[in-house]
Amino acid sequence: MAAKIPVLKDAPLVIRMAGLSKRFVIRKEKSLKERIVNFGRSNKHKDDFLALHDLNLEIHAGQTVGLIGHNGSGKSTLLKVIGGIIRPTTGVIQRRGQIAALLELGAGFHPDLTGRENIFMNGSILGLTRKQLAGKFDEIVEFSGIGEFIETQVKFYSSGMYVRLAFAIAVSVDPDILLVDEVLAVGDEAFQQKCMNKIRQFQQEGCTIVLVSHSAEQIREMCDRVIVLDHGNVIFDGNTENGLSALSTSFEE
Amino acid sequence: MTDIARQRAERLAAQPLITLASGPGGFFRGTINDLRELWKRRELQGILVRRELKNRYKDSALGFLWTLIKPITMLLVYYFALGQILGASRNTPEYAIFVFAGLTIWGLYADILTSSTMSILQNAALIKKVYMPREVFPLASVGSALLNFCIQFGVLLVAMIVFGQVPVNWDSLYIIPAVLVVAIFGTALALVLSALNVYLRDVQYLVDVMVVLLFWASPVVYAFRSVAGSDAAGVGTWLYQLYLLNPITIAVVAFQRGTWLHGHGVETSLAKSHIPLSHNYPADLDLRLIIAIVVGLVFLWFAHRLFTRLQGNFAQEI
Ligand SMILES: Nc1ncnc2c1ncn2[C@@H]1O[C@H](COP(=O)(O)OP(=O)(O)OP(=O)(O)O)[C@@H](O)[C@H]1O
Ligand SMILES: [Mg+2]
Repeated sequence: MAAKIPVLKDAPLVIRMAGLSKRFVIRKEKSLKERIVNFGRSNKHKDDFLALHDLNLEIHAGQTVGLIGHNGSGKSTLLKVIGGIIRPTTGVIQRRGQIAALLELGAGFHPDLTGRENIFMNGSILGLTRKQLAGKFDEIVEFSGIGEFIETQVKFYSSGMYVRLAFAIAVSVDPDILLVDEVLAVGDEAFQQKCMNKIRQFQQEGCTIVLVSHSAEQIREMCDRVIVLDHGNVIFDGNTENGLSALSTSFEE
Repeated sequence: MTDIARQRAERLAAQPLITLASGPGGFFRGTINDLRELWKRRELQGILVRRELKNRYKDSALGFLWTLIKPITMLLVYYFALGQILGASRNTPEYAIFVFAGLTIWGLYADILTSSTMSILQNAALIKKVYMPREVFPLASVGSALLNFCIQFGVLLVAMIVFGQVPVNWDSLYIIPAVLVVAIFGTALALVLSALNVYLRDVQYLVDVMVVLLFWASPVVYAFRSVAGSDAAGVGTWLYQLYLLNPITIAVVAFQRGTWLHGHGVETSLAKSHIPLSHNYPADLDLRLIIAIVVGLVFLWFAHRLFTRLQGNFAQEI
């Protein structure tokens, strides 16, 4: 096992959840006709789904947390709740510091804009000013390794190029919290290595990272804490090795 | 443990924990906060407006020129086809200016409604991946519609000079409240419609139909005086009052008053008609404009509260 960077003593709390639940209501009809036809019976046409159930978690600055669990266990949902993209149904979530998120594929680019324009748009969404972005632009392009494709519309990018650009933008804001949802798997080996190095640098610099991954090896290598989700419940929270074995026993059941 | 890490920890410890919103979202919470947040995002807003404008004519060779070509063509069609050939200009002097003015202000309204209704859905990719105040999307539609309006307004000014009207007098001031009324009601509706369309996709089709219908509910291609002077909906009837309740009608009439100088009653050709000159504009236009602006602002506030209530579930519904 690689040597872990010790978490700072009495590091400040950066993410706190208390009694956090997320319930999805899945309505089967989206059009007016169906709504009118089903009017009055509409409650029967709703499906409730509890994606996260009463989570109580605290994450301190400088931790690298691996979030693992079976497909559909609520990992992506939890990251979106932390990122403020999805609003929890009940409970409290508190957070501090600059956050950057790499959520599944897509990264929030606009397909018709070029890479350059997307850098400026995405950066300004993350809270950077035009001037700051202009200063970081070369660095972002350099890190992404996209080269001249930066002037091409993003819809013509390969999925690996997408992720490269997204990762380069996310790290350029020097986040205090970095959320990563599986995206790194798409990059080629060289880029994955580059990302890992960058993440290690962030760890050194006390950045808090929440990493969703199905690769036990990646989790083992990066994380100093593992949270295992199962149907929206936390079934394990603790050290990496025990977490990974908790996951495999949950698969065997 | 590096120094950077220690500094970061100290900086974070000094910041307060921010509680993210949960539940369906309150109705009366934090208008001021939302506005402050939006103000902070004005640069993003500018980028989005530019993108929307670019998107409109994307991959076209002439690009932005199309924004000019369309209104100029329209102006010429109205001048020759309707005005000269079909003879509409006999009843309405400077018919081309009249109708172009009406279409310019109406076009702003229609443009805001149709483009903003789709705005949230069209930005699904962004909304699902990053957090930002979602108001920026309908507002960007409003912004790009306003820019298009400015271009068309420029064409109108040139046309006014070409047709021999001096474009400045006291009545020109009516242009300002007219645009304000359309912008306020347009923005309010943009917020409501864009949010509703996430939950009910029929809204976008409904808007298309409503825009066609509402077009005839305001004096854009026909003169206001022909309504005021008619038997069915003339001054004093309840239909006339209903007709004037539409804030867009008030805005269109005020805009024509500011740009179409022949409507002022000085023209002799008008005097020949049997409809009295006082019917060129509603009697209490100024008061109606003020009321429309005040009511519009209240409506805008409600619309924004509705939007913030609905936006909590945008990311999971689209
Ligand atoms: N917008 C939504 N509307 C309704 N249900 C949803 C929505 N998003 C997620 N869900 C449901 O919530 C559950 C958890 O989904 P989530 O994407 O968080 O799983 P995950 O742990 O990330 O899975 P994976 O390993 O496959 O990425 C799933 O059953 C999914 O169907
Ligand atoms: Mg997932």
